[in-house]
Amino acid sequence: MVLGCIPDLISSLAVNLVGHLRCFVAVAEELHFGRAAERLGMAQPPLSQRIRRLESELGVTLFDRSSRRVVPTPAGRLLLDDARELLALADRVHTLGDRVRQSADGALRAGIPAGLGGGVVAALIAAFRARRPAVRLDLRETPTAQQAAALADGTLDAGVLRHPCDTRGLALGPMLGQRIGALLPAADAPAEPRLGDLAGRDLVLFPRDEAPGSHDEWLAACRRDGYDPPAVHTARRAEFALGLVLSGTAVALVPEPAAVPPGTAWRALAGDPIVWRTSCAWRADGADPAVADFAAVATAVLRAEAGMTPLGAGPLRRVEFRPSSGFLA
Amino acid sequence: MKAVEDAFRAAGVTGWLHAEDVDTGRRVGVRADEPVVLASVFKVPLLVAFFRRAAAGLLDPAERVTLRPGDRAEGPTGTSILLDDVTLSLRDLAALMITVSDNAAADVLYDRVGGADAVNADLAALGLTATRITGNGRELFAGMLADAGAADFGELWARLDEPGLPERIRALNPVLTSRSTPREMAALLGLVWRDEAAPPAACAQMRRMFGLQVWPHRLSAGFPFDDVRVGGKTGTLPTIRNEIGVVEYPDGGRYAVAVFTRAARPVAALPQADAVIGAAARLAVEALRRPRRT
Repeated sequence: MVLGCIPDLISSLAVNLVGHLRCFVAVAEELHFGRAAERLGMAQPPLSQRIRRLESELGVTLFDRSSRRVVPTPAGRLLLDDARELLALADRVHTLGDRVRQSADGALRAGIPAGLGGGVVAALIAAFRARRPAVRLDLRETPTAQQAAALADGTLDAGVLRHPCDTRGLALGPMLGQRIGALLPAADAPAEPRLGDLAGRDLVLFPRDEAPGSHDEWLAACRRDGYDPPAVHTARRAEFALGLVLSGTAVALVPEPAAVPPGTAWRALAGDPIVWRTSCAWRADGADPAVADFAAVATAVLRAEAGMTPLGAGPLRRVEFRPSSGFLA
Repeated sequence: MKAVEDAFRAAGVTGWLHAEDVDTGRRVGVRADEPVVLASVFKVPLLVAFFRRAAAGLLDPAERVTLRPGDRAEGPTGTSILLDDVTLSLRDLAALMITVSDNAAADVLYDRVGGADAVNADLAALGLTATRITGNGRELFAGMLADAGAADFGELWARLDEPGLPERIRALNPVLTSRSTPREMAALLGLVWRDEAAPPAACAQMRRMFGLQVWPHRLSAGFPFDDVRVGGKTGTLPTIRNEIGVVEYPDGGRYAVAVFTRAARPVAALPQADAVIGAAARLAVEALRRPRRT
């Protein structure tokens, strides 16, 4: 540990004290870390970490976690009233910020991945407008890697990322999962195929530069299960993918379409070997409540309109030891 | 260096690279002055500090030490994986530290040279001011598990795709762990190859060790030519794959290359991310070997 970074840690907490208190109040009101995380539009581990950090900063324990429920300690109950008051004050300051932002046309700039569908985009805009009528939402269709870079350099305020990707310096909302299945010609669409059953067909995938981590992960899953496609076609447009599938030579791996194109069938894969993970993201050092609202709204819309579901802890990934990737090889 | 950037992107990594002609100083780079996580590459400045102290008579490289199993640092290779007492000379521990990245051997040498302060003092004396060692292997290991809340390294790997987990691990953040820049690590190897990092006999021993490194999958993979010599040292932590080394051609051309990468996918087996280190190094070395445009 470098001694020099300790003042940084303290000052970053001071700057983000409001954010930490917001987490504290949510947990104190929900009495449940999972529900509080969902309400805040963030994942549970960073929430728990923030509470621990607040506790160590204040030097008191705020919650009794020994029972099945989360209960505020006497110190926690004492803090709750003050914290609510401080948050109300902070919100007034931020509302002022919204008005100033509006007059300077500082819209909330948010990136979203391609291919979410018009219905999802419309729902997202409507829901954000309902939550924050004073803030204009400037949505931009942006590939995942560019979103991460734009969030880091401040040209985007919030984003919706496909995972895995490099998330250094970013805070993430709850991880959502979307089942990926096979779009096949209706005449030749076995029920619940295994990936290996697709062997011999060409594969149609979204462009790799849209989300390289997902692209590589899906291809690795195919090869892992015995499907090494003779050719991988990039489909920038759904029509092209559809043509290749209808021709009978290719299969497209896609989330379940809202409307299955005539002549084709969408089949879930046996055992769900591919789950597309998506989450909201923003700068970890940012504390803009409009961004937090975007994350909460976008997460809700993706669940309701895009068939995404929150991913629980799930079983641990199995990682077999190899010396070349071992600790400090 | 667009070709290098394209290669990094195709392999699914973010990469940092610096390559320079050891004798002319001609150089190329990609983000060559940005801070990077050293991981096991920290064993290179440690090796230099060890041989400088041996040359100054401050320690005896032939002194034999006994390492007991319970005292040895965790690691995937070398004396870290053995079951019984091991007695070796200090310089043979150094050989294991470089050739197979032996963590237990490295921590013994770390203590012998006087820890991070001694290594950092040597780096400063060599003019490498952006490089800083912050701890030994054992401290890094304990810190990673504590940051991740993981019981062991296997669990850490298994949970690496958990949202926010990589960001919590200080050992993966160049601001908070042992760090350098590609330019400075290539410069350090240049000093070793030009006999300037320590007396010539000591530099020769170091070059021998780099040439005996066993790993074939990174820098070495980029130069599949029987008449080209590659010596180097890897560095590996979850999502981080590095190697620095020197590539020597039969015409006498020798090039110090430092490549640091970070993968987008949090998986342990990612051969394309290993191989791109060699591929990027070859692109850089080929650029250095082309005659200058007049």
